[in-house]
Amino acid sequence: MSGIGAVWQVALRELRVRGRSKAYLITSALILAIVVALVVVPRFLGDDTDVYPVGLIGMGNEPIVTAAEQLANANDEPDEPPSVSIETTVYEEATVAKADLAEGIIDAILIDGREVMVERPAGFTGFPLLNLLQRGAATVELEQIVAEEGQAAADVIEVMTSDPLETTTLSGEDARDETGGIAAYAGLLLLYAAILLYGTWILTGVTEEKSNRVVEVLLSSIRPWQLLSGKILGIGTLGVGQFAGTVIVAVVALQVSGTFDIPSISGATIFNLVLWFVLGFLIFAVMFGAAGSLVNRPEDAQSIALPMTMSAVVGFFLAMATLNDPDGIAATIGTFIPISAPFVVPVRASLNAIPLWQYGASVILAIASVVGLVFVGGRIYAGGVLRYGGKVGFREAWRSARD
Amino acid sequence: MLSIRDLHKSFGDVTALNGCNLAVDRGGMLGFLGPNGAGKTTAMRSVFGLIRPDSGTVTWDGHPIEHSDLLTFGYMPEERGLYPRMKIHDQLTYMGRLHGMSPRDAGAAADRWLEVFDLTDRRTDTVESLSHGNQQRVQLAAALIHDPDLLVLDEPFAGLDPIAVDTMSDVLREQAEVGKAVIFSSHQLDLVEDLCEEVAIINEGTVVVEGTVRQLKDAAPIRHLELEVEGDANGLIATLEGIRSTDFDGLRHTVIIDAETDVRGFIARAEEAGRLRHFSYTTPSLSDLFREAVQ
Repeated sequence: MSGIGAVWQVALRELRVRGRSKAYLITSALILAIVVALVVVPRFLGDDTDVYPVGLIGMGNEPIVTAAEQLANANDEPDEPPSVSIETTVYEEATVAKADLAEGIIDAILIDGREVMVERPAGFTGFPLLNLLQRGAATVELEQIVAEEGQAAADVIEVMTSDPLETTTLSGEDARDETGGIAAYAGLLLLYAAILLYGTWILTGVTEEKSNRVVEVLLSSIRPWQLLSGKILGIGTLGVGQFAGTVIVAVVALQVSGTFDIPSISGATIFNLVLWFVLGFLIFAVMFGAAGSLVNRPEDAQSIALPMTMSAVVGFFLAMATLNDPDGIAATIGTFIPISAPFVVPVRASLNAIPLWQYGASVILAIASVVGLVFVGGRIYAGGVLRYGGKVGFREAWRSARD
Repeated sequence: MLSIRDLHKSFGDVTALNGCNLAVDRGGMLGFLGPNGAGKTTAMRSVFGLIRPDSGTVTWDGHPIEHSDLLTFGYMPEERGLYPRMKIHDQLTYMGRLHGMSPRDAGAAADRWLEVFDLTDRRTDTVESLSHGNQQRVQLAAALIHDPDLLVLDEPFAGLDPIAVDTMSDVLREQAEVGKAVIFSSHQLDLVEDLCEEVAIINEGTVVVEGTVRQLKDAAPIRHLELEVEGDANGLIATLEGIRSTDFDGLRHTVIIDAETDVRGFIARAEEAGRLRHFSYTTPSLSDLFREAVQ
């Protein structure tokens, strides 16, 4: 049997046996159900309007509340419910208002149009309501100044909520177009999740032949690298298949339910993301597979996964840095390291911040490292294979294959 | 012809093979004997490149074994291994496919071997649901599925009941008859004597005895004498030359003597001394040869 033929046979067996296993079918169904629920349920739980209850004490509060609501809802579509609604309650006694604030009945107290009180300092995400009220108050003040100057009644709200300056870029795109960055970020998260979720599948899957000892029969007719790459291909395809199915269902559910508007992404960006998802998954899959060659039982496999998951974490954070500085030195270095390239390169490409030669070189490096890892892994596999029981050190496995 | 020449292999301080020599022809069946740890499994693994020898050669039909040759070999390792949750017909078909068979041929061969081993009605059962003996049959079928020219079987009879032993023996005999080279290791010496024309006995990594069973027995330096006499047996036995040992089970005397001893005069004397009820003069059994070789 030709080299690739044997790889294909091994992969096909994985697809048939694993793909039809109850464990795979049940987890796939479960994951889909959870994803659909996550997307659809919030839709039924409430409309899209954020409601803020605010207590009012004294005079001069209403114009601020009105201005705040107008500012928040200025860019709403006319046929949709407003983004923000501020519900007011007038209090006579400050103590009663404070008690309600403490109990969470109201989110803030406006006093005499001059002061706003909230329960405690803002957390990490800030206070959207506080910002709105501040801007409302500023708008009210501006309107008074405009009126006093004797000018025509300008629509201060409109000025405050529009972009007076036209923006352009060197490349001619809209400078405020965030779709490239959003797509890259989404791609990054998906690759990261896929590696963490399915890497250990491959790791434990590769130990299967050793733990049931069928490996000796298999290696009497096929080569170790063929068995290893067939396993990786088969299990990886099942993992990516489940993952892709989940993502597609999630996207469709988002679109149908209208929970979230997905920006339209260009074909080139999609190609870039898919290419690097596949390359990145392959690089990590082969690393997990090679690591699996060192252990004989699935129980021992977990302990050896750490270097790969750490690499994925480092790559992920490097890519986050790249989002802010896509042609900086860190981004450039990350481009040429095969384990960080799958995270860094698609981000740089999505932001049009990578020279063509660097892109090409990183793709070639990534493919070369996949091929190299398969052979290194195959050799480790061959060396570790007939030593049942316990873990085999990398060096020991490498040497015994050469002996 | 499979030929193993002057094979050496050490694992750290342990010498597994120390100048091992073996050969088995197409159409021949070689029983590979030796105490535990003598190097049988290491020698068999070396045929498939599963271990790399430190020195020496393994050849098939005169050339070093290449990967394409491996596809025409069948192997049943000492460490039995099958996919426990795979259906046995699927499993055999898969093994056939890995040896380069088309899906149709592999499927048909799987059907045929399940028939031979009387497992046809269990073709869709998983391996883990089979008894030990039946798993062993599937394991042998996995080695035979692609109609190999060379069969290397490590302890194929271990743990089998007598019926299964018969089935397995018949299959091996047929394989040799149709021109396959068969080599198998075993501790069941009676069985080996019954099945094989040729045997090789390995001890501490070296083949110490090799040849046809007939030749080995004839060449053995001892003979077995068994007799039952009325009257003074001990006095009679004392007249024999070259006695190595004697034994009496209450009825019959067993005497091991040098092969050169001429027993014709003894028979005449025995008949004079009393009525000779039983007399046998035989070459030693394979078990005796084995003990002699590995001590």
